[in-house]
Amino acid sequence: MMFHRRPRFRIPHKLLTAALVGLVGATLGQDASAIGPENVPAIEGGETAPLDVEKSELKFGFIKLTDCAPIVIAKEKGFFDDEGLSVEVIAQPNWKTLLDNVISGELDGAHMLSGQPIAATIGFGTKAHIITAFTMDLNGNGITVSNAIWEKMQENDSELLSPQPKHPIPADALRPIVEDAIASGEKLQMGMVFPVSTHNYEIRYWLAASGIHPGMYTATDIGGRTDAQVELSVTPPPMMPATLEAGNIQGYCVGEPWNQQAVAKGIGVPVTTNYDIWKNNPEKVFGVTASWADENPQAMLAVTKALIKAGRWLDQTDEDGNLVNREEAARILSRPDYVGADYDVIKNSMTGYFYFQKTDKRSMPDFNVFYKYYCTYPWYSDGIWFLTQMRRWGQITEPKPAEWYHQTARKVYKPEIYLGAARMLVEEGFIKESEVPWDTDGYKPATSDFIDGKTYDGKTPLAYLAQFEIGNTE
Amino acid sequence: MLTKLKHLLLKIIDLTALGFLEPIVRLCYGEEPGTQVKKIGQFMMVPVLVFLLFIMVWSAFAPRHKTKSGEVPTPAVTFDSYRSIMTFHGREGDKERAYLATGDAREKWLAEAEARLEELKPLRAEAEAAVEEAEAAHQGALTATYDPALAEYNEARQAAMEESKQRIAKLKVRAEGIAADDSAAKGELLAVYRAHTAQTANAKSDYQKLKQQADAILKAKFPQLAAARARLTRIAEEEQYLKQLVKMLSGGNREARVADGQTKLDALRAQYAGAEGAALFPLAKSINSAESRLARTAESAYAKPWTLPMQIIRSVYCVFVGFFMGSVIAIPIGVLCGLSRTFMAAMTPFIALFKPVSPIVWLPIFLIVIGGFFPDPDKHWFFTTLWNAPLIGWLKINPAFLASAATVAMCSLWATMVNTALGVASVDKDHINVARVLRLGFWPRLFKIVLPSALPLVFAGLRISLGVGWMVLIAAELLASSEGLGKFVWDQFNNGASDSFAKMVVVVFVVGIIGLLLDRIMIVFQRAVSFEGSVATV
Repeated sequence: MMFHRRPRFRIPHKLLTAALVGLVGATLGQDASAIGPENVPAIEGGETAPLDVEKSELKFGFIKLTDCAPIVIAKEKGFFDDEGLSVEVIAQPNWKTLLDNVISGELDGAHMLSGQPIAATIGFGTKAHIITAFTMDLNGNGITVSNAIWEKMQENDSELLSPQPKHPIPADALRPIVEDAIASGEKLQMGMVFPVSTHNYEIRYWLAASGIHPGMYTATDIGGRTDAQVELSVTPPPMMPATLEAGNIQGYCVGEPWNQQAVAKGIGVPVTTNYDIWKNNPEKVFGVTASWADENPQAMLAVTKALIKAGRWLDQTDEDGNLVNREEAARILSRPDYVGADYDVIKNSMTGYFYFQKTDKRSMPDFNVFYKYYCTYPWYSDGIWFLTQMRRWGQITEPKPAEWYHQTARKVYKPEIYLGAARMLVEEGFIKESEVPWDTDGYKPATSDFIDGKTYDGKTPLAYLAQFEIGNTE
Repeated sequence: MLTKLKHLLLKIIDLTALGFLEPIVRLCYGEEPGTQVKKIGQFMMVPVLVFLLFIMVWSAFAPRHKTKSGEVPTPAVTFDSYRSIMTFHGREGDKERAYLATGDAREKWLAEAEARLEELKPLRAEAEAAVEEAEAAHQGALTATYDPALAEYNEARQAAMEESKQRIAKLKVRAEGIAADDSAAKGELLAVYRAHTAQTANAKSDYQKLKQQADAILKAKFPQLAAARARLTRIAEEEQYLKQLVKMLSGGNREARVADGQTKLDALRAQYAGAEGAALFPLAKSINSAESRLARTAESAYAKPWTLPMQIIRSVYCVFVGFFMGSVIAIPIGVLCGLSRTFMAAMTPFIALFKPVSPIVWLPIFLIVIGGFFPDPDKHWFFTTLWNAPLIGWLKINPAFLASAATVAMCSLWATMVNTALGVASVDKDHINVARVLRLGFWPRLFKIVLPSALPLVFAGLRISLGVGWMVLIAAELLASSEGLGKFVWDQFNNGASDSFAKMVVVVFVVGIIGLLLDRIMIVFQRAVSFEGSVATV
């Protein structure tokens, strides 16, 4: 099963070596998430060999989040133009509308939550076959709680009173608050952005790691609140700060800049980022419908090429390893037709800093990863992780065999397209041979970089599920 | 001659219901100057003064209400935002023109843009230095005020906690000394314990006040820093725009790209001419694709984002489409209702049932229903025809637009329908009798007698409908995220930038002014079809 379909450029003996290295790395407890290049030096690009794109005027949707950057940058820096594409980039009000617009053909493709193509393909929510050949970024989310909750957490754990408390902050200090609320007949309300969003799984992971039950999805409870100790609800990302301020929710998990916005406006305190929940976790993907990719194979390649170039531009570093293009990117993103938040707010996380409180600014160079660590490659193991979480929380109602996980990931993630685009870029001189995992079988090495220290190996999804105390384990 | 002009002017004023202009015309003709001046004062000066007063009150009170999204914008801030919206519009227009620019004009513009870019460099360095300086000053000010405040809070909290601990220790000692049967002492202990919790709570609220004070220092605006940052942002944005412009005028320009493609094609053709045998086939393929690419490039356009003026035009167009759809349904049904009491009875339940339904409910329903007609809107002939049509092609009419228009129609048609029915039903009995005497058939009677006498009321209904439609549209666009004023407001709300609030206030005025203009247009129509003194309108 592991050697399901061979990408074009695989050399068998290298594969073995890679697998061995992965195995050894995992057993030695090596920092497994840090595969791939760490520095991305400037490169002298050659000339783009134009493709015969079937469709040259495209419309892509995005949600106002800093991680839409690869699409925006590909447009603004002319990478789409280089491929002969004229692209309109349109803000969407929420993830549901975005997905509906992609399915209806209103949009050609979009910035999507990693879980969206998978959920659509297996038919949780709107059913449609969506595929992805490009992972847009790693990390980039945070969990923010309201000032009142933060004060109570500080009362429960005096360590948090320090101006720069020790990280990661688990939800342990939140637990007594949750229990008090339940004792007085209430449940804490928290926001996430979509039922199959990374954010939903992350906030659940964070809560469950401290023994707080975030609720199960069942065939009849599609709100996911059965047995919940903390109730989660959907709010579109840009609405999060306003909803928190209005008191409808007491905390949320969302992408940037909406955590930094809470700090800037003084309405909440980010307690943790998803980098602490799962180091270098996959975040957004670029999704299109399978039928679109079938009808426009050359356009699909051209778009993937432009996006890879944009990712590389975003992560480009100088000799000292400093990100060189991020300030310009923040400037572009702050335009009202893109993310539109103030430059100073967007700049924080984009340039590698994160304010946890006004007095607590920390360096987080990997808060947004757009290219290094083989980030843009569509890993099967990423898709399988999302499937395990969908099963854990009951979005997938029946237990499935391991084979099903592997096959579903293969339906959605299309490394063949990615490798085809990357090959052309190497030949054109825009990226380096070493920046693409040519010989991988699509599974990242096993990792235990989770807040609860559990080990995830994409090859054995059922073994991973069996480790959890809260949620389905098979 | 002059008298004729005067009568014409007065007639126009009357027709357009701009009564406040009348005294000016009469004053010009020297008619009772005293009365006219009084009228001018009453109908022109008073509104202007009151509006000025409003602006003053607004300026004075807006900064006092502090929200977490910033202060309520003053008129000056609002006007600045209006200008920044127009700057964005202007710059996007420039980029579009730059992409299409050709020949000498392109060269000249390129030189200008590059020169300006050069000019900006020292300005930017200066602005950056200013921001750094302001940041340092801010940091200094914070260390001077915030740190002591925080220290004070920490001290107070520590002290309070210490006291509380001591009290608890004392209580524990006291508890140890109480025997099982000493109920008086037990009661006392409980009372003391209650006093202790109250004391702790008091102390807590005291030190939390200190915390709030410290937080207030942190939250306080530092105008110098804000101003420095705003200046840097202005310069950086212009730089960004100029860089993009330079690109659009040089390599990214359409003419340049076409020339580039042509060179490549020529090279391929030359190669093809010289080649033979098996080499011909791949070359033929390349030539063919190079040709089609060239053709596409020659027709390509700059993918321009929507700007407020474009969104205004689309909104106005959308409201008229919806209004037209609504009127086409409402007028015939209204006429039939007016003509036949039975038909009216048949329609009454529908009118009563659907009239009060909110646009918020209609919109998602129409989105789904209309979406059903166009499974693949991008390829549907209806939309492709519209997109290629002259004048309205750029509006990119899509299912969301149609759903918004249908919502406008559904919510606005009731006023027209009811007024039409009323107008038709209340046609003068004498007129009907005359028609009967003349033995007019159904159609002549309808068009010669009934409709003309019902027209003033029909137009009164249309005027109300258009007003309702305009209000409904903004909400519909917001929900459907159909490009237009509603979407603009929603995007601004979502942006949450420091100037977003002010931009939303700009939209209040834009919507108000357009609503006013639409109403005026309808008044002109209404007056034009009214008989002398038949329907009084303002």
